[in-house]
Amino acid sequence: MARWRTLPRMGRGADLIREARLRAGLTQAELSERSGTQRSVIARWEQGTVSPTFDNMLQVIEACGFELPLMLVPRDSSLDQQLDKNRQLSPERRAQQLLAKLDREPAARA
Amino acid sequence: MPERARTFDPYGLLQTLDRHRVTYIVIGGFARVIQGTEEITRGLDIVPSTRAENLRRLDAALRDLGARRPDGREPTLDENTISTERVLELQTEYGELKIVPEPAGTRGYDDLRRAASREPLGRGVRPSVASIGDLARMVSALGDEERIPQLMQLRRLVELERVRERVIQR
Repeated sequence: MARWRTLPRMGRGADLIREARLRAGLTQAELSERSGTQRSVIARWEQGTVSPTFDNMLQVIEACGFELPLMLVPRDSSLDQQLDKNRQLSPERRAQQLLAKLDREPAARA
Repeated sequence: MPERARTFDPYGLLQTLDRHRVTYIVIGGFARVIQGTEEITRGLDIVPSTRAENLRRLDAALRDLGARRPDGREPTLDENTISTERVLELQTEYGELKIVPEPAGTRGYDDLRRAASREPLGRGVRPSVASIGDLARMVSALGDEERIPQLMQLRRLVELERVRERVIQR
């Protein structure tokens, strides 16, 4: 499997921990055993009620069998406005917007 | 394959699946667009429940859709096909349909259904769509650098949603 050369901008550690655990097919209890972290602590991290430290996050992700290749890249904020606009549309409008785009590109709907 | 097979009509696909009472979750590009990403997609990807009765319903829906494999063969959908094929790529009269029993980084329908939500898309369709977090999990698991922009958009959407929730809480 190809590895990331750059790190996508992270959401909170909670998302990455949950994502790593689910991709590893582990329950919170199993991850607790592997990482030596209390299950209740992992649950609080995943719920976002408590933020893990950066080192704790890396340790737990490693316990799931993954690594975070870290690299600083410039923030690309060009899409932020468009994403914010999309977010304010209803799902129905988002679907219609897609179909309108495809209609504007005749070859695209083919 | 009839001429109109070349058109992508997600409504036609979803309505047919619903008419046959197929249980599924929408994933992939169309799901990401429904969740708010900015991208173009020309097909529908679904994760079906792999229960025998549901596969029978899906099989009937595929016949109704005139589904064909890329080599022109008619697909036969059963528990064996589902367990041996990672992705079933089909052309239908409403465009491309991919059936993905166990998307990368997930354990399939039962794994995704917990966080999925019903999204009203109009024309009577209200499919179950994978959550932003689960869509990010799938993109991330593919480990494909070309998909980094998709992943960044999904992460950004999660952030925007959190900011909105904080504002509402205040």
